[in-house]
Amino acid sequence: MTATPPATTPPADSRRRGVRRTRPRSWALLLIYGFLTVVTLLSLLPTVWVMLSSFKTGPQVYSGKGFFPSPATFQGYIDAFTEIHLHTYVLNTLLYATCGTIGAVTVAFLAAYPLARYAFLGKNFLVAMFALALAIPLVGLATPVFFVVRELGMFDSRIGLVIFYSALEFPFSFIVMRSFLLSLPTEVEEAALMDGAGYFTTLRRIILPLSRPAIATVCVVAFVKIWNEFFFANLLTVTQSNHNVQLALAGFKSQFGYNVTGAMAGATIIMLVPIALFLLLQRQVVAGLTAGAVK
Amino acid sequence: MLPALVLFALFFLVPLVVLAVTAFSRWGGVDFAFTGLDNYRRLFSDPVFWKAAGNTLFYCGASMVIQVPLGVAVGMTLAMKVPGWKVFRTIIFIPFVISGAAYALVFSMFYNPSYGLLNNLLAPVTGGQHDWLFDSGTARWAVAGTFVFIIGFVVVVVIAEVAAIPTELLEAAEVDGASLIQRQLFIVLPLLRNIIGTVILVRLLVDIGMFDLVFILTSGGPDNATTTLALYAYRAYVQGQWGYANAAGSVILILGATLIVTVRRAFRIGERAL
Repeated sequence: MTATPPATTPPADSRRRGVRRTRPRSWALLLIYGFLTVVTLLSLLPTVWVMLSSFKTGPQVYSGKGFFPSPATFQGYIDAFTEIHLHTYVLNTLLYATCGTIGAVTVAFLAAYPLARYAFLGKNFLVAMFALALAIPLVGLATPVFFVVRELGMFDSRIGLVIFYSALEFPFSFIVMRSFLLSLPTEVEEAALMDGAGYFTTLRRIILPLSRPAIATVCVVAFVKIWNEFFFANLLTVTQSNHNVQLALAGFKSQFGYNVTGAMAGATIIMLVPIALFLLLQRQVVAGLTAGAVK
Repeated sequence: MLPALVLFALFFLVPLVVLAVTAFSRWGGVDFAFTGLDNYRRLFSDPVFWKAAGNTLFYCGASMVIQVPLGVAVGMTLAMKVPGWKVFRTIIFIPFVISGAAYALVFSMFYNPSYGLLNNLLAPVTGGQHDWLFDSGTARWAVAGTFVFIIGFVVVVVIAEVAAIPTELLEAAEVDGASLIQRQLFIVLPLLRNIIGTVILVRLLVDIGMFDLVFILTSGGPDNATTTLALYAYRAYVQGQWGYANAAGSVILILGATLIVTVRRAFRIGERAL
C-alpha cells in the first residue's frame, strides 16, 4: 500500500529512476517519522486516555495515577446503561441519524438530478442558493429556526428532529450528489428515455444504481454529522427522553461528581460509533468531506 | 425538486427573513414591537458582547495560527508517501470525526486540576495543580489548545491536492539540484494556495459559530473569558429576548460573510461552493 511512484514506469524513463520524485534521505526520513509520530501521539493522547480510564475504578481515576487501568473493570460500562440509561439516547440518535440521513439523501437526490441534467429558468440561482446554505454559520439562525419548528408543531418531537436534520444535511448532500451526476455520462439514460421509460423509471432504474458510490459517500458523512450534532438537538428538544447522545454527553459532566467512570464509559461508546464508521468506510468519508469542501 | 424547495424554504429562507425582520424589534415569541436600531445600540454598548466578539475572533485566529499551518505541514509530509503514511493519516484523522461535545468532555477531564492528565504530565515542571479552564488568564488558551488535535481535515485535503501536482515539476526541480526542503517550500507550498484558502474558509465557518465545545467545557466562563458570539446569542434566546438574540445572530452571519469574502479575495478562490 505504500504508493511510491508507479512500478510500471515506461522503459524510456528508466534512466530517470535516479531522480525519482521525493525519495527522502535517511536523515530526512528520521525527521519525517519523528514529526509524524509526535503529531499522531498528540492527536490521540487525550481521547485514548479517557477511553482507557473508562476501565479504571473510580478511586484510580481520582488518584490521577497510572495511564493504564489497574485493576481493569467493566463497572463503568454497566453503570452507563443501568444508571445513565445510555441505550435510550443511543436509540434516539440512531433514529435521528438513520431517518435524517435517508430524508436528506432522498431529497438531495431528487433535486440534484434535474439540476444536473436539465436547463431551465432559475436553475443557476437555485444551485447557488443551496450552496450558499453551506457557507453561512447556521448557529446565527438559532432563534428563527426554533420559531419555525415550534410553529410547525414539531418542537420537542422525534419526527420534528428527523425532518429538521433532513433539511440540515440537504445542502451538503445536494452539492456532492449534483457534482457526481455532472460527471456521469448521459448515454444510458438517454437510451432509456428513448425506449419509453418515464422520468421516475429512469431515475430509479438507471440513475440510482449508477449513483451508488456518491450516495454511499453522502450517507456516511450525513450519518456521522447527525450523530455528532449538539446545537440544534439542544435547541429543539426539552424532554430528556427525546435527547440525543450528544446532549446526554453534556449531562455526563455533572456525573463526574459521583460516577466518573460511568461518564467515561458512555463517552467512549458515543465516540466509538463515528470512529468505527470512519475506520470501516474511510474512503467514503474522506471522499465526501473533500468533495464538499472543494467542489 | 419540490420537497427540496419546501425543506429549504422552511428551514433556511423563512428563518433568514424572520431574523432580518425581528433583529429590529423587541420580540419574545408573542409580543412584538419594532424598535429600530435599539437592539444594535444595546449590543454595541454591552462589554460582554465585545468580549464574545473578541473571543470568537481569537478562536478564528487560533485556527489560522495553529491548525492550518500544522495541518498543512503534516499533509505535505504525508504526501511524500513514506512507508506507513496511510496509518498516520488514519490516526490523525480520527479526532475530526469525534463530536465537539465528546471533545469537550474529554478535555474537561484532560485539563482537570486534580486528576487530569495534563497536570500529571506537567507536574515535574510546574510542580502544582493548575486549573486551566477556571483561570481567566489561561481559559481561552486552553480552549484554543484543543484545536491542535483536530487537524485531520486539513491534512486529508492537502494530501489530495499535492497528489494532483504533476510529477514533472518536482522531477525537473530535483534535476536542477533543489533539495527536498526547497522543493516543498518553493514548489509544493505555492501550488497549495487555493486549497489553503478553502481550508481556512471551512475552519472559519466552524469557529465563527463555535458553540458546543465552549458551552460544555466552560459555559463561557470564567467571567466570560471564553464566551463566543454564538453563546452570547443563545443566552439572549434562553432569556426570551428573541429580537435581541437575533440581532446578535445577525452579527454572526455578517461577520461570517465578511470573513469569507475577504478570504476568497485574498486567496483568489474562484468557482467554489464556499
